Amino acid sequence: MAYGYGRPALKSTVDVQLQSAFSDGNWNAVVRLADKRAKALKDNYYEAIKVCAESQLDGAAERCGILVAIEDLVKQKTVVDIDTLELYEWAASDFLQSEIEYADTLGPLRVRWAKANPKSPLALQCLQACLEYWDLVSAQQISTALDKAYLNSGDRRYMFWSITLTFLLSISPQCSESSRKVYSLLVLKQLERAAEITENSPKMDIKDRGLLNEEEICLYYRVLLVHGNKDDYIKRVQGNSLGALALLRKGHKLLFWDSLGVLETWGEWDLIFDLSRQALRLGLEGVTPHFFVCDWKVWKTFIAAASKSAKPEAALEEVQSILQDFFALKTKKPDTYKKNLALALLEASSKLYSLSPVTAPDVKGMTSRVIQLGLFLEQYFDRLSVFDDVKEYVSCLSFEEVQTLLEDIFPSMLSAQSDNVKGVILGSLICKIRYLLSTCPQTLSRHPSITDGQQQAEPYRCRVCSGLTSLPCKHCLKSIIVEAIGTSKRISADSDLTDAIPRLDKDPRIDLALVIGLSLLKLSGLRPGALEALWSPTRDLDPSLFLQAILIMDAQLRETPSDNGLRLILVRLYLLLGNASHAHQLWVPMDVKRTIHDALSPLFFDRISSLSPALFQGSRPLMEPLRSYYSSSLRDQCPLKTWEAFSSGSYTSLLDMVEYDGHLQRSCTLMMTLVEESRATRAFSGKTEMEIAENPLAWSIQDDTPLVNKTDYGSFSNLESPHGPQIQDFVRLGPELSNERAHLAFLSEQFADLLSFRPPKEYKPAKAIEAAIRDRNYVLERLTHLNRSLATFIHHPKTPSALTSAELGHYTIVSLLAAAALTSLSTSRADPTPKNMSLASSSIRTTLMSLRASSLQPAPAHMSATCFALTNMHAVSYLREAALAVKHTAGFVLAFHERELARDRSGKSALQRDVVAEMKALETVAAKILSETKAHLQKLKEALGEGGWLDRLLGWIFGEDEQAVDGDEELRRAVSDMIGGPEGAEEWCGRVLEGWREGIKGWLMVRWE
Amino acid sequence: MANFRRFRPGDLNKLSKCNLDPFTETYELSFYLQYYAKWPSLFQVAEDQNGNIIGYIMGKLESSPDVYQFSEHYLPWHAHITAVTVAPEARRLGIGRLLTEQLEAAADANDAWFVDLFVRSTNHKAIAFYKSMGYSIFRVVKDYYGDHSSDPTQSSEDAYDMRKPMKRDVKKEHIREDGEKYEVQPTDVW
Repeated sequence: MAYGYGRPALKSTVDVQLQSAFSDGNWNAVVRLADKRAKALKDNYYEAIKVCAESQLDGAAERCGILVAIEDLVKQKTVVDIDTLELYEWAASDFLQSEIEYADTLGPLRVRWAKANPKSPLALQCLQACLEYWDLVSAQQISTALDKAYLNSGDRRYMFWSITLTFLLSISPQCSESSRKVYSLLVLKQLERAAEITENSPKMDIKDRGLLNEEEICLYYRVLLVHGNKDDYIKRVQGNSLGALALLRKGHKLLFWDSLGVLETWGEWDLIFDLSRQALRLGLEGVTPHFFVCDWKVWKTFIAAASKSAKPEAALEEVQSILQDFFALKTKKPDTYKKNLALALLEASSKLYSLSPVTAPDVKGMTSRVIQLGLFLEQYFDRLSVFDDVKEYVSCLSFEEVQTLLEDIFPSMLSAQSDNVKGVILGSLICKIRYLLSTCPQTLSRHPSITDGQQQAEPYRCRVCSGLTSLPCKHCLKSIIVEAIGTSKRISADSDLTDAIPRLDKDPRIDLALVIGLSLLKLSGLRPGALEALWSPTRDLDPSLFLQAILIMDAQLRETPSDNGLRLILVRLYLLLGNASHAHQLWVPMDVKRTIHDALSPLFFDRISSLSPALFQGSRPLMEPLRSYYSSSLRDQCPLKTWEAFSSGSYTSLLDMVEYDGHLQRSCTLMMTLVEESRATRAFSGKTEMEIAENPLAWSIQDDTPLVNKTDYGSFSNLESPHGPQIQDFVRLGPELSNERAHLAFLSEQFADLLSFRPPKEYKPAKAIEAAIRDRNYVLERLTHLNRSLATFIHHPKTPSALTSAELGHYTIVSLLAAAALTSLSTSRADPTPKNMSLASSSIRTTLMSLRASSLQPAPAHMSATCFALTNMHAVSYLREAALAVKHTAGFVLAFHERELARDRSGKSALQRDVVAEMKALETVAAKILSETKAHLQKLKEALGEGGWLDRLLGWIFGEDEQAVDGDEELRRAVSDMIGGPEGAEEWCGRVLEGWREGIKGWLMVRWE
Repeated sequence: MANFRRFRPGDLNKLSKCNLDPFTETYELSFYLQYYAKWPSLFQVAEDQNGNIIGYIMGKLESSPDVYQFSEHYLPWHAHITAVTVAPEARRLGIGRLLTEQLEAAADANDAWFVDLFVRSTNHKAIAFYKSMGYSIFRVVKDYYGDHSSDPTQSSEDAYDMRKPMKRDVKKEHIREDGEKYEVQPTDVW
């Protein structure tokens, strides 16, 4: 039994005096008593008690005695009794996380014991202990021993434990390359033998060593997929006793579901078609429950397979015939399946249309798929999910079909609607679809981009409104805004409608506000590319339209606070606006916690230390919930609940859990948590509690560990077409989390840790010269590693597109600094000037100056300098980080030089003169930039403290600048009306100003040294 | 559009549509994995076309420990619904009902006597839903919840323990017609 930190009980034969000293933790007494008993009784168990008690004492030698004792036991090749083993495991538990490997120490001892006593119930505990430390090599050996021991007992568990562990070992880094092939073959052969037994037995008995239940069969397919070949998989999956349909007949869907995915990746469309058809027929015939496989994925894959068959028309007709059979079923159809069937009909007609796009001669766009789309919309327009259901189909309509939808189908649906409430729901849906169409390329046609030798600002002609336009069509967006505002106002003004809203699934005004907000954002010039390419995310924006968009969506959210789609967009928009405290206020009520941190927290926390360090100054550490989630989820070396899955025979669950745990250990969000916290801590106190690489959560992260981003954007209200960027790309500051960015951030924090390391004051080495040499070697070793790793990542082809420009500048500087520091410390006074030093130094200077220019740049003409600077804090933050890195690196090198001069008066071991001069020059440049940056922030604070800000903000919102709203009076009036004029915006402006002031106050609290 | 399938751990990264809803509790990772490890066929999800989870049900199979065998509160082998949720946008499509039916099918396949669940006594909508599916109140657990969902002045709320008999319970021995009259304390509930 692995006890972790809990103390095991001693054998009952141990006397009371020793027992109570042990249970009281009176370790000196235990050592003394155990020593006496060992000598008197000549029993090694007492020796073990003594060693374990010593391991609890303070002295380093006593503490490490346990390691020596275990090493001796491993070498002796004898079987250690289980009580001693458990004592040793408990005593060594502190070392097992870091100093020693379980697989080299206690694992083999457990194996020896289990092999010697395979039928003892304690052998199972040995297996469990090995699994808890994720020692797959030992666990596999024990499970094999158990399987052999129980071969004829009829207990099939051990066979599948052995198979599962052999498989896990065969795909684990713990397996040596030479053994991998052997284990792969072994596990495959074992399962194939079991499969043969099942296929050849007319009736399986519970004691047979064949594949009996769904978990065992699916385990076989998982292994086959990894270690077998495609032909065997295909043959088996069609089999009569172990095939996908055979399992379906018994009510098990997992294999059928999994095999559809596998066959799709192999492009086995004929087989998919055949399997799907047979599976659906099983439902029709009542062999399985009617709708057992009527999932959307099954229909979608079935239809895709039909369209890829040799005779697609005939195959699609067969699909439609099966669909009709389902429609004709007399049994009650659950609504969700009814909808799946309706969508499958739409999907089939869409596929059939794409094969031969014939249209009726009189009405060009009234195609079969548009008719089907219209029928679906008529039936489901009042359901919340309808927009997402039809989005894909609307997005792929030809322009003629779009015209039919807008000019024939929608008007006739509206006129047929006598219910006012349903009318506004439909109106709101039409607004969303019109917005969607504005993001579809087929609504635009190319127009000569150069006319009379002049570049045209509007190189497209919109096929909907016929106007010349850039992308997207501004005229259409304006018209959508005006219509959406009209509908929204009509709802608010009609008490019958407002009274009906609480009975609806959703207030239609939420969608209307979203359409208005998104259209205004597009009109303002917000582009995903602009965020990634420019220093300042909002530089290119029309501030008036941008602020109007936020204001309208914010006002709606206050009315309907439960709408998370709108809330998430606003969180990101406030971050873009430089108003992190406001974004935080919106973020908190969503109560993102525990398991959903990994997928959702990046939506707020990514880059947060570069936007608002002030947030880290709250009463509860900002990142603590995330850190605590990862600490509890990754506390043990084995994936959570492994033993439960084993003991329940849930083999596929086990494999999935191991994979999930692997992803969580190398999550980009986990790295984001560590980095953001480390940066914020450095910004305020200058010293982190522990070096980032020392954090147990980062122990498994090496340069070649691919870090994975699992951010979930599913809850964003996304009205964009699949042809272009999605809404999250528009409202995000810079590229999303990535392996490259996460590694660079991790390495740069390690570099900062190295520079800030100070030995404890008590550290007074006896041999100062030797200690200094050791320290120098250690620093050189670390710098060599960091220099190589940073250079690898910064020069990776994917890196520039994974970073904002400010990040790219910063990490380039850090990479150059690591190289410069390494070069500097590798020289001595007598060496010639290193060639790459001046190159590195000048590159650092150039990059720093370029970072400075873009961070402290003047505002564009149409924007207030203060407002512009407030939305540019991310760049300012990285300028500070970079300047501090330069200053600290120079300080680190120069301090080293001073120490060497003090230690060795001859000066021989001091650094080369030019190197010292370069570092001093860099230090001066960095100090100057830091002082400028601080002054810049001070100036911002003063500017925000001046009067008249409310009027200024209101002026921007309502477009005192004619150019800001493009002279469109109708739009200006409609938006102003929606907001409620300046009076309606005052309170919001006050909140925004307050947020900016809070942010700047936080910035002025950070360290500049 | 929806798919119904067994839960897999990757779904935990796609829970936002369900779990950002304030009425859906988010648990620790170990809680979800415990169910997936021990009762995978009783952990089912509904997903939309983009892989977002729009509904899920978590259940378990168990009986009271043997030491309670002679207690009046002893529970024989049965399935228990621990959590069931449907995302706001996917409601009114019968997803909750289908998920519950799938769990019931798994309960029957595992020879359970009944399926039970706890629900707040003021959650009339949920109670009506379960009644429409054949569940009835078996007993009232006094002050089971440490807060009150609709009355902030109250510090607790009763739970209804609702049950539906499975195929094994041919004689309907494990349900009551007048369960509202049977009150038990939280300590009686295992």
